Amino acid sequence: MDWQFKPARDHALTPRERLASLKREGGLVSLACHWLWRQVIRFYLRAFHRLSVTGLGNLPEPPFVMVANHASHLDILALAAVLPARYLERVHPIAADDAFFSSFASSVFAAFAVNAFPLKRKAARPKDLALLRARLVEDRLIYILFPEGTRSRDGQMAPFKAGIGALLAASEVPVVPCFLAGAFAALPAHRHLPLPRPLRLSLGKPLSFAQSANDRAGWFAVAQTCESEVRRLEQDRIGLNQTDP
Amino acid sequence: MTIPQTIAPFQNPVTLWIVVGVAAALALGALLIFILGLAGRLSAALRHELWLRLGSWCVLAPLMIVPILLGRSFTIAAVALLGLACYREYARATGLFREHVVSFIVVLGILAVNLAAIDHWYGFFMALAPLGCGFIAVASIPFDRPQGYVQRVGLGIFGFFLFGAGLAHFGYMANDPNYRPLLLMLLLAVGLNDVGAFVIGKSIGGPKLVPHTSPNKTISGALGALVCTTTTVSLLGHAVFAGTALDRAILLIGLGLIVSLAGQLGDLMLSSIKRDIGIKDMGRAIPGHGGILDRFNSLLLVAPASFHYIAYFVGFGLDQPTRIWF
Repeated sequence: MDWQFKPARDHALTPRERLASLKREGGLVSLACHWLWRQVIRFYLRAFHRLSVTGLGNLPEPPFVMVANHASHLDILALAAVLPARYLERVHPIAADDAFFSSFASSVFAAFAVNAFPLKRKAARPKDLALLRARLVEDRLIYILFPEGTRSRDGQMAPFKAGIGALLAASEVPVVPCFLAGAFAALPAHRHLPLPRPLRLSLGKPLSFAQSANDRAGWFAVAQTCESEVRRLEQDRIGLNQTDP
Repeated sequence: MTIPQTIAPFQNPVTLWIVVGVAAALALGALLIFILGLAGRLSAALRHELWLRLGSWCVLAPLMIVPILLGRSFTIAAVALLGLACYREYARATGLFREHVVSFIVVLGILAVNLAAIDHWYGFFMALAPLGCGFIAVASIPFDRPQGYVQRVGLGIFGFFLFGAGLAHFGYMANDPNYRPLLLMLLLAVGLNDVGAFVIGKSIGGPKLVPHTSPNKTISGALGALVCTTTTVSLLGHAVFAGTALDRAILLIGLGLIVSLAGQLGDLMLSSIKRDIGIKDMGRAIPGHGGILDRFNSLLLVAPASFHYIAYFVGFGLDQPTRIWF
């Protein structure tokens, strides 16, 4: 990256406003916090859930977006933890603002540990989506998205919502479909503490939606393609399990 | 082993005068806003703005005064924190914060130069200026990314000199047993310098000083502040430096001129940075003031300038143990 003589995007915000802003840009302090959090989580996932990954070689260079099934709070942790450390500050899980940014304490945690960006669950504002879209390309970020919109309550994957299409249609940014198996058994939405169940993450080949139309029909098509690719990873995973001796 | 704090906080009367004076000024300010508000002489917006500023001062003034009263190490630690906070704002305003390696070295440099001050190790304290400069220049070379090299190194060195090597002189003065009245006098003088330039400039008006850099500053304000600050420093300095080589009218007037000039130039320096980047304030950390740098810009050049002037005639802690830790 050539030198850019430009202030932080969040320069005009107060420290409190910064936390839950999509303009947030981290410095050395947040980088150190992300790194510490990553070390703790990687150790935990390895020791407690024996997390295994296939398809890491499918990861493109940033920017890219990871989309996955959502059954547990472990999903964000697992997807972020498998990415190379050099992407540390580029990785932004997109989290529901009502769950992660509801209080000051949770906002500090979401911003400094998880590096999450907030998005309104039901009605994402167009200007928020436009900013997310612009930053993805300009700042070469990595988003982790769960297009089901909420955690599965029965372990089954729900249809993907079209919001993912508004972010990706007609964009050059590649999308990596991901399927995480075992998270529902380990920490479903109704449990408070995790069980020591194994987690297995599969990363699929990157998808491109550069040719998709950036309109409602295009958005639904993008969501559907992402969903079927994630389901395909799920089928592959089941197939793998059945061939296991 | 620590430097013996032989001088009790209020041994020098100037310390007491300034602390009481600041407290009285804040109380008077509150009373004035309250009375003017009751009399209906202030618009709601202006009243809110004034309360905000006064409220910020009620937090800022103790944050500056209490470490100085507590002791040498507290003072230097407070200066180190101030330097780091200023550098953070500067780096976020210029975009240097995206260059993690350079930024990290600057932060280490600011910590190192303040550690040298706490250690009363003058040789290392001075050596860190060229050494820090060199480290910042070489730090990003192993990453083999020559694009933007001059910009990031230039900004890094500028930041290190302003908020590390330069500002740390303020903390280093605390190695002198008689530092309390001196530091409080400098803080007061720098504050009065700003207020003086503003009030006199507003009431007299006249031609602008450097309109493209700072549109509101006038020549009359600058000269008025020069007179006020020089007078204040000369009178207080006579009490602070009683019985030393600096206690001569001509030398004290010289100190006053240095404080006023360096203070105003520091302010204009920050204005130049802000104009060049195209931002109004350096941050939003202090309600009613903008960023921390918007408040402390005048101190940046006063610290090294007054330090070396005073050191030439009096010296700092020359009878104190040096290299206490290392």
